[in-house]
Amino acid sequence: MRRLHCLLAAALMLPVLALAEAGDDPLGSPAWLDLKPSFVGNARVVFDDRVKVSGPKIAEDSLNVPVGVRIEGLPDIERVLVVADLNPITKVLEFSPRGALPALYFRMKLQQASPIRALALTKDGIWHAGGIWIDAAGGGCTAPSIGRSNANWTATLNTVQAQAWENDQQSRLKLKIMHPMDTGLAPGIPAFYIEKLSLRDARGHEWMMLKTFEPVSENPVFSFDFVGRTPPGLVLSGHDNNGNLIHAKVAK
Amino acid sequence: MKRTLTSVLVASALLSLSATSALAKVTDKDIENDATTPGDVVSWGVGTRGQRYSTSTQINTKTVKDLVPAWSFSFGGEKQRGQESQPVVSNGKMFVTGSYSRVFALDAKTGHKLWQYEHRLPDGIMPCCDVVNRGGALYDNLFIFATLDAQLVALDQDTGKVVWKEKLGDYAAGYSATAAPIIAKGMVLTGVSGGEFGIVGRVDARDAKTGKLVWTRPVVEGHMGYKYVDGKPVENGISGTLNATWPGELWKTGGAATWLGGTYDPDTGLAYFGTGNPAPWNSHLRPGDNLFSCSTVAIDVATGKIVWHFQSTPNDGWDFDGVNEFITYKTKDGKILGGKADRNGFFYVLDAKTGKFQNGFPFVKKQTWATGLTADGRPKFIPEGRPGDPAKSADGKKGNSVFAAPSFLGGKNQMPMAYSPDTGYFYVPANEWGMEIWHEPITYKKGAAYLGAGFTIKTLDPKDIGGNYIGALRAVDPKTGKIVWEVQNNAPLWGGVLTTKGGLVFWGTPEGFLKAADAKTGKVLWEFQTGTGVVAPPIAWEQDGEEYIGVATGWGGAVPLWGGEVAKKVNMLNQGGSMWVFKLHKH
Repeated sequence: MRRLHCLLAAALMLPVLALAEAGDDPLGSPAWLDLKPSFVGNARVVFDDRVKVSGPKIAEDSLNVPVGVRIEGLPDIERVLVVADLNPITKVLEFSPRGALPALYFRMKLQQASPIRALALTKDGIWHAGGIWIDAAGGGCTAPSIGRSNANWTATLNTVQAQAWENDQQSRLKLKIMHPMDTGLAPGIPAFYIEKLSLRDARGHEWMMLKTFEPVSENPVFSFDFVGRTPPGLVLSGHDNNGNLIHAKVAK
Repeated sequence: MKRTLTSVLVASALLSLSATSALAKVTDKDIENDATTPGDVVSWGVGTRGQRYSTSTQINTKTVKDLVPAWSFSFGGEKQRGQESQPVVSNGKMFVTGSYSRVFALDAKTGHKLWQYEHRLPDGIMPCCDVVNRGGALYDNLFIFATLDAQLVALDQDTGKVVWKEKLGDYAAGYSATAAPIIAKGMVLTGVSGGEFGIVGRVDARDAKTGKLVWTRPVVEGHMGYKYVDGKPVENGISGTLNATWPGELWKTGGAATWLGGTYDPDTGLAYFGTGNPAPWNSHLRPGDNLFSCSTVAIDVATGKIVWHFQSTPNDGWDFDGVNEFITYKTKDGKILGGKADRNGFFYVLDAKTGKFQNGFPFVKKQTWATGLTADGRPKFIPEGRPGDPAKSADGKKGNSVFAAPSFLGGKNQMPMAYSPDTGYFYVPANEWGMEIWHEPITYKKGAAYLGAGFTIKTLDPKDIGGNYIGALRAVDPKTGKIVWEVQNNAPLWGGVLTTKGGLVFWGTPEGFLKAADAKTGKVLWEFQTGTGVVAPPIAWEQDGEEYIGVATGWGGAVPLWGGEVAKKVNMLNQGGSMWVFKLHKH
């Protein structure tokens, strides 16, 4: 009954074209129609094979589900949203590949089986969507962070480890940031998460910008791909929602 | 173009990229005039002089009987603890802090929640006396408040997002912060908590818009003050004279925490900060006056230097912490004086420009440690009233125990009093209690309690204080030293006071009542049961032609932590955590 009500409400608000396209959601998500306006408004969404999402069929550890987003052959990407339709907090992260390749590998928390969806906005105002289902036993978002049992988390907060693999053709940079990434859904622990990250080279040019949200895993790990070697003097900077700053040199 | 804009914003070193409010921002002028503008409350103390006097008259001695609830808002969460916060109100929005370093922004007229900020606290915080917060400061589009892990956080008034954040101290060394910051000349002034852990008390001034340090002034003799030029510290003179009033190295961990914040009088240009007990409590380890502990220090906000100090309890041995607020006021002949009701049970009237002692008298009925004050305001000590030296005891482990009044919780504690220019009285939330106290040997260890004392809180003989009570709201005449009227209360009073041009005095009780009495006579004209103890100061403001009274409620604070005989008067009280707002019922 509620489902029907939602469908009707959505139908009244959305143009027919968008509804038809959303109705064709290849992932068959029960929530996508309700979610869609909050992420893309009335903009056009097309399902596009060039937007590839990878991940395990079943999450072994609901607190650390590895997810990859890789977009190939789609030009003029402004930003990319990652959404977990059936998570209690649906927005996982958002990234803008300014100079880095349009790809991002990370780990996230998954509360239950859900479509994991990437939506890439191109300069023409069209969203290109791709995604997969990941099955999960459940409970990833409402459990307290592991750091809670470690009274010393403030000593390592926002410290960064980095490793690069590179040759003249391509490179990958992997970063780990120490942070509890509390969702606010575990009793008595307020939401506490990294909000923004930026990779800039020695000249101040930005190569990648990320906005991150509660579902990103504790002590987040991100991998970025570049054409050729990693940009010289790359610095990671950012902050969490309590105003704690992140600042670390992550490449030579 | 887009990239250029982003770069500029990042370079500004501010975190939030949210658009600033289209509504009027809070200015220095708004803050200086706060006491005379009934449409808002933009500072802790209802004006930085701290008088807590509202010029509103709609709710008065005749109409107060029609005062009814307008709305109530729950702070929620499973962690209901003491709520000691004074809300601020600006542009129709109320900002109130809660226990555990939380902030709530509410529609001041309806109580509808606009946003909520919860600071993520480490497990290792060491607040001495409950996880309270006493409120925040408004400046520009910011709401600035201090957290239990000793950070200062500035939030965007519209979104609740962090705009800047600075560290006040290392929480693992015992630093914490619970007081409301105040604003003076575009700077945000803060103190620190942690006097039970051997921290060093100080006052910091920061650029309120960016959080960057302007100056810092330690309030323990011997420590260097600094001002900041292009972000770099420049020596700005030692506070006092090294080792003049402290022996050996003890000044390095001398306490004197500025944990209750301060007041500021734009007419003198001075900020007045009370300072806490010297560390450790065992006074025999530190012969001397131990400046500037248990004092009021007046700091020129333009230079960051101490202009004068007045010490109420030299060489304190009872934890007669001197943090109590110094409220300035003008006399009929144009003099600027200040009043302070000290933990030690004496009320002091000082010249606010020079610190010269004018008048002093007890505002409690029993004091065991001094017979009175000298002509310059120094206590006349009773030698037997001081706990004995443990080094002189048989086993060297416990000094001679004495019965002392007031107790270390004080004739008055954190709850701020009010001053009415109409009656000329101070309204002091006082408590009558005593303690058994003894001194013990102690050495400093980082992050460990640094007391060197043991104690048990005691109630007093009703015959000595004229009734079976602990709390008493007292109207005190600073000219004559007379207690003009009092309203006794079974449990200790722990909330602050508001007085109004409507001829009323408002205060809350641990038993859950918000009360209003006639400011001239003390006759209780109205009371309302809020459902949990009140340990916060009320405020009044006007919006769309109606006067509102607001108070945060929620039992807690230091009293329930210490037990003793006092527990019998408070252990039945239930916790809570709400904002209550009242207005006149329309007929």
